[in-house]
Amino acid sequence: MRRFSQYAFEISDVSHVSFWKKAGPMDRVYIGYGLLVVLLVVISYLLGATGALPYDPQEINLELIMAPPNTGGHLLGTDFMGRDMLSRLIISIQAYFLPGLLAIGIAIVFGTCFGVFAGYWGGALETATTYVSNLLNSFPRLVLILLMVAAFKPDIYYIMIIVGVTNIPVVASLIHSKIQFLKQKNFIEAATALGLNNCTIIFKHILWHNCRSVLIIQATLGMAEAILMETSLSYLGFGVQEPTPSWGNMVQAGSNYFMQGKFWPSTAPALAILFAIMGFHLLGDGLNSMLERKGDR
Amino acid sequence: MKLSAVRPITVLVTRELGIAALLLLGVSFVVFVILYLSPGNPFATLVTRIETAADPGAAAAAPATWYGQYFTWLKNLFKGNLGNSIRTGLPVLQEVVRVGINTLYLTIGSLLVTLLIAVPIAVFSARRGMTPTSWSMTVFTYVVSALPVFWLGYIVIYISIHRFGLFPLAFGSSAGPWNWFYFLLPVLVLGISNGTISEVVRYLREEMKRVFAEEYIVTARAKGASVWKHSFKEGFLIPITEIIAAKIPFILGGAVVVEQVFNWPGMGRMAWQAAQDRDYPLIMGITLVAAIIVRMGSLMQRVVHIIVNPRASKE
Amino acid sequence: MTDGPVLKIENLYTYFYTRSRQAFIRSVDGVHLEIEKGQTLGIVGESGSGKSVTALSVMGLVTAEPGVISGKVGLKTANVQKNLLQDLSEYVKTATITGRIMDVYKDNRRWQKNVDRVMRGIRGREISMIFQNPKLSMNPFTSVGRQIQESILLNTAVRSAAEARDRALYWLEKVRIDSPRLRYDNNPYGLSGGMCQRAMIAMALSSEPSLLIADEPTTGLDATIQSKIVELLQEIKTTVGVTTMLISHDIDVIRALSDQVAVMYGGTILEHGPADAILSGAMAQSHPYTAALMASIPNREQIRTKAYLQAIKGEVLDTINLPEGCRFYPRCEQVTDRIQEHCRLREPGLLSISNGHRIRCWRYQQ
Repeated sequence: MRRFSQYAFEISDVSHVSFWKKAGPMDRVYIGYGLLVVLLVVISYLLGATGALPYDPQEINLELIMAPPNTGGHLLGTDFMGRDMLSRLIISIQAYFLPGLLAIGIAIVFGTCFGVFAGYWGGALETATTYVSNLLNSFPRLVLILLMVAAFKPDIYYIMIIVGVTNIPVVASLIHSKIQFLKQKNFIEAATALGLNNCTIIFKHILWHNCRSVLIIQATLGMAEAILMETSLSYLGFGVQEPTPSWGNMVQAGSNYFMQGKFWPSTAPALAILFAIMGFHLLGDGLNSMLERKGDR
Repeated sequence: MKLSAVRPITVLVTRELGIAALLLLGVSFVVFVILYLSPGNPFATLVTRIETAADPGAAAAAPATWYGQYFTWLKNLFKGNLGNSIRTGLPVLQEVVRVGINTLYLTIGSLLVTLLIAVPIAVFSARRGMTPTSWSMTVFTYVVSALPVFWLGYIVIYISIHRFGLFPLAFGSSAGPWNWFYFLLPVLVLGISNGTISEVVRYLREEMKRVFAEEYIVTARAKGASVWKHSFKEGFLIPITEIIAAKIPFILGGAVVVEQVFNWPGMGRMAWQAAQDRDYPLIMGITLVAAIIVRMGSLMQRVVHIIVNPRASKE
Repeated sequence: MTDGPVLKIENLYTYFYTRSRQAFIRSVDGVHLEIEKGQTLGIVGESGSGKSVTALSVMGLVTAEPGVISGKVGLKTANVQKNLLQDLSEYVKTATITGRIMDVYKDNRRWQKNVDRVMRGIRGREISMIFQNPKLSMNPFTSVGRQIQESILLNTAVRSAAEARDRALYWLEKVRIDSPRLRYDNNPYGLSGGMCQRAMIAMALSSEPSLLIADEPTTGLDATIQSKIVELLQEIKTTVGVTTMLISHDIDVIRALSDQVAVMYGGTILEHGPADAILSGAMAQSHPYTAALMASIPNREQIRTKAYLQAIKGEVLDTINLPEGCRFYPRCEQVTDRIQEHCRLREPGLLSISNGHRIRCWRYQQ
């Protein structure tokens, strides 16, 4: 044990430690991968928006259908109508990006409002918010969307509004419990005793200082949710309609050839879904354990 | 002790039942609002149709006000009369209950599959910490959770056709020795890739770790008692019931897709068909039944919580 | 007294590695202690001085993943005689990069297995423990009585549940819980803090251990309840007569209960000896730290005249960056020119100044 004491004077004191240093090795892998996915999604969105694609995603080439990756200049092959797979995968991001952000925005904004109502003021508001949360939780999301589709029309924005609305309880309950935790620590009484007004306490001290990491994490997970829901619905035929490509309807269109042993047209978009959703999940969970970690010994 | 302990539990359970009933009333109202607001007001037609079906002699006129329509519909709802499907003309309730059994089997089965995969991984990594084994298993759960369920369905179908010469697409039509296999495949597919495994593992692992670090577990160790025994209720039973209650909606949603892939005659497929046909009485009935299933799950969770946790009665 | 101390701790080191600061927190840094049969050893010190970690190390309950223990803890009772820390250093490796420890590799699973193997039949049966926060330390999901019953079934010769229940009721009565039959079925949630601590003590005693470790038994309680619990512990000391290791930062509690006292500071023992010698307050015969501790307790005179309370100057020791010389040197007020060089540069040894009274200070050496 002499070994231990000899290090005593070689150890420097690092009093300020960045989040990144605090993150465990796995968290770093998670977050790194997640950020890569986010970056790819944003780049793809910009590429799609500016039209800077390797091929025209709608250009049909019947001579080269269902080509495997890297044939004839098509990096990811072609689909059953000979359209370039890579271009279609990139342009598909258009179908998710803004609607997904809308869903996240709805969930975050309304969820925060409800959470603050329930947690900060409590009483009847808390009961009402809990009721509404439970009510929204009672519907299986996809079934509710199908009801909306039957009642109105299949439209990606309607769908994303529902995704956002059904995510409200999740955000609300997180904010609610965070505020309750702060109340337990007499944090809010202390702030009130200092003479701060409600507005400052809620926005600056509760939301900004204590809830922003929760909100960032929820936004990340919400994006995964939105993509998953969109692909499921496009697959079912209620989301984005052909010929506008989306990963879901690309899998669906390719599925007819799947049973014939032509895997690629549906596998490529399926893998895109896999990597994207995994990225957002890993990013959310990695951020969660990095930002919400209690100090280690 | 027994008597004094039982009474608050019954009171609390009754309270939970009341809350569940209130929530289902809310569910019906939400469904009503959606249909009432939709273009062409199919709801008025629906109420008229229900009333006519119940009493063919009555005047086929819908109540004029929205609350009139809602209460007429609600009254029929309590009688079990949800109207008839537009496409088939059969009573909705019968239709939904007929296929609901299949969906219930699919849901419970795949929930079991999910738990069978997730719980051992969670327990292992809570107990052992982050070893290479538990790390690779955790990454595996992330991959599996992100798998698009329909694609996994195709792979499984492809394999079963080309390897085993089975055609699960023709659901239940063959009566061969492999028949049970047809029933197993969708359950497995939905159980594996309903997208909740990574969350379940994460939640259960964190809860168990938290409970293992509780002071009363240190006490249990100090007196030589089993850590498992003392952490079972808070670290395992309560989180598991919470997970089940919380994931039922997701699995019901996933069932819509899986039933579509496997031609499984369940509620999800019926909902899809109804949405295609805009058969709103039918999808309304399905939504209500699905909501009832979800609330049953939560009710189960609350009851377990009340029975297990002595503090629940003081909350 | 004839067959040596019940517990003999030699050279105990318990270090925690912090990943974020990449350094060792040296919670316990070379502790020697002995407890004779039937005696009560009081360990006193400020918070963070390593008292509780010493107790947890003895029990093998240091769970924090990067915790590293070494040394020897000899337990010698009627049934058992072994080193509680045997073979532990086999499972730890440290990695250094350019002379600095960058990481600690500890085979946690085998370490834990080894600890559990060594401690089987000792935890609860030979050594039992009372914790600081009674409400959190009892399982909130089971009734108090059943927890005591469980302890009896696990650790004593009693095998039938009914008999164990009777024993549990006996112990509940012994710790002066009113209407034990009613309390038996109460959950810890339904009991007050004082009640809980009584039940905790009953649970610890119910297994009839050879050694009782009481880790800050009065800290989490109200002042009035504290004195009640001290009374109870005094009573138990006379009636049950169990060997006790009492840990507290409250000198009054230590004074009331202990035969021997050890003063801990910064993970090591500064003074160890008979209670009356150490706690008498005689400046000439004690360590400067003990003297300062004693001086910080207000006496009646000071309370009456509303005199200012005396505090020990300076901060509690940072156990990551230890000073080179005496640990107490930065806060010590009794450094004389004669010994200053020594105090600053070299750590003093624990030296005996009279029968059984040892002090770690340069004032008493050379």
